[in-house]
Amino acid sequence: MSCSNLTMLVSSKPSLSDASNLSFRSVLNPFQLPSQNSPSCSLSRSSVTPVQCGLRELRTRIESVKNTQKITEAMKLVAAAKVRRAQEAVVNGRPFSETLVEVLYNINEQLQTEDIDVPLTKVRPVKKVALVVCTGDRGLCGGFNNNIIKKAEARIAELKDLGLDYTIISVGKKGNSYFLRRPYIPVDRFLEGGSLPTAKEAQAIADDAFSLFISEEVDKVELLYTKFVSLVKSDPVIHTLLPLSPKGEICDINGNCVDAADDEFFRLTTKEGKLTVERDAVRTKTEDYSAILEFEQDPVQILDALLPLYLNSQVLRALQESLASELAARMSAMSSATDNAVELKKNLSIVYNRERQAKITGEILEIVAGANALQ
Amino acid sequence: MTLNLCVLTPNRIVWDSEVKEIILSTNSGQIGVLPNHAPIATAVDIGILRIRLNDQWVTMALMGGFARIGNNKITILVNDAEKSSDIDPEEAQQTLEIAEANLSKAEGKRQLIEANLSLRRARTRVEAINMLSQ
Repeated sequence: MSCSNLTMLVSSKPSLSDASNLSFRSVLNPFQLPSQNSPSCSLSRSSVTPVQCGLRELRTRIESVKNTQKITEAMKLVAAAKVRRAQEAVVNGRPFSETLVEVLYNINEQLQTEDIDVPLTKVRPVKKVALVVCTGDRGLCGGFNNNIIKKAEARIAELKDLGLDYTIISVGKKGNSYFLRRPYIPVDRFLEGGSLPTAKEAQAIADDAFSLFISEEVDKVELLYTKFVSLVKSDPVIHTLLPLSPKGEICDINGNCVDAADDEFFRLTTKEGKLTVERDAVRTKTEDYSAILEFEQDPVQILDALLPLYLNSQVLRALQESLASELAARMSAMSSATDNAVELKKNLSIVYNRERQAKITGEILEIVAGANALQ
Repeated sequence: MTLNLCVLTPNRIVWDSEVKEIILSTNSGQIGVLPNHAPIATAVDIGILRIRLNDQWVTMALMGGFARIGNNKITILVNDAEKSSDIDPEEAQQTLEIAEANLSKAEGKRQLIEANLSLRRARTRVEAINMLSQ
């Protein structure tokens, strides 16, 4: 954007008394060399707005603001459409997790008295922690990626204070580039998220966590993602992924545990014409099993098969919620960008019109003065 | 009397309709399920699921999970499931070769575990295609 260095104050009451001065300035402007990226070329939002551009530059500037506005509005609509798709993905995953929770409960009831020794639930003294960080792939989503990365750094500092070793599994291009630029943070693996998290990607992450935990390289795996609270609010949270509790509880790092059956699902609906989010706390009914249900294998073996499924669905849910929060953040960022663009265009148009009118007035005065002089 | 089969993965429902018979690979071998089977719960290994609909067999590659067989209702929960018609033979073969190469390169307990898992999965997919062509 090229602007001349000449300042022209636009006051709310334009004074046309100094017409000759204005005409002089408007002639000077085209000959001024435009300065690149001059920090003084600013448009502050007050009633007195200093503008440093000439007529032609103003016109190109208004055009570019109009184009930017179109782009940001389109991005907002695209993000809104994708939130709906993300929501559908969550709903599609519901039958799986409901059935899984039901079965988990029933098996646990039958195993109450027995000693369960499944490797995934083994609680070891913690020496090394793996942190799975879920960021987004693209920018222009407000503070979304920054919030997650700040939370990750805070957690790393905490772990360092506790004297624990740590490693990172980074998911998403933004997190990848952040950690790549910081080689002093040990990163285990960089993974790319897709546009819509599928079971395959969740499996890749779960496999990684699984092998790290089983091979005893780490003693705890934590999942760091953004929980989708509402369209304008999202919280980065840390959940303990491994070791799993046999009852299927999802535990926070502070030890607050949520029963797997008390799962919350979010829904995008409209209330009074505006998009809102409703969270339904769905309590899946854990019906009593037919007592004659036999286990083909050892109950322990069955748990061994069930818990990786649960791990996968947890990771997938976290990825889906992260995606939904990213889309919501992008929606609100693009919406405010559009509003800013509209306001900027309005201000620039006012300035442009004033300057154009001043120029015309000056020319008229010149002509009249010249005609007078000839007489 | 027909069986109602539901194959669920974490992000979609792969199969939800009536079948005549299925053959499932479990940790303790393959089991065939006909209508009016006794209710059992079993872990499902990474392997092939064969479904019979009216004398026609459909093969599906399952990536491990759990199966519950109730009153003529079978629910299979797996990490991932692919119908053999959806698998690209060349791509599956390539994945198998990459997995085998990774296994021979694997060092340390952790890489071995990972490599083994991906090898079994790739092998299952290739088997699913081969079975279809039989």
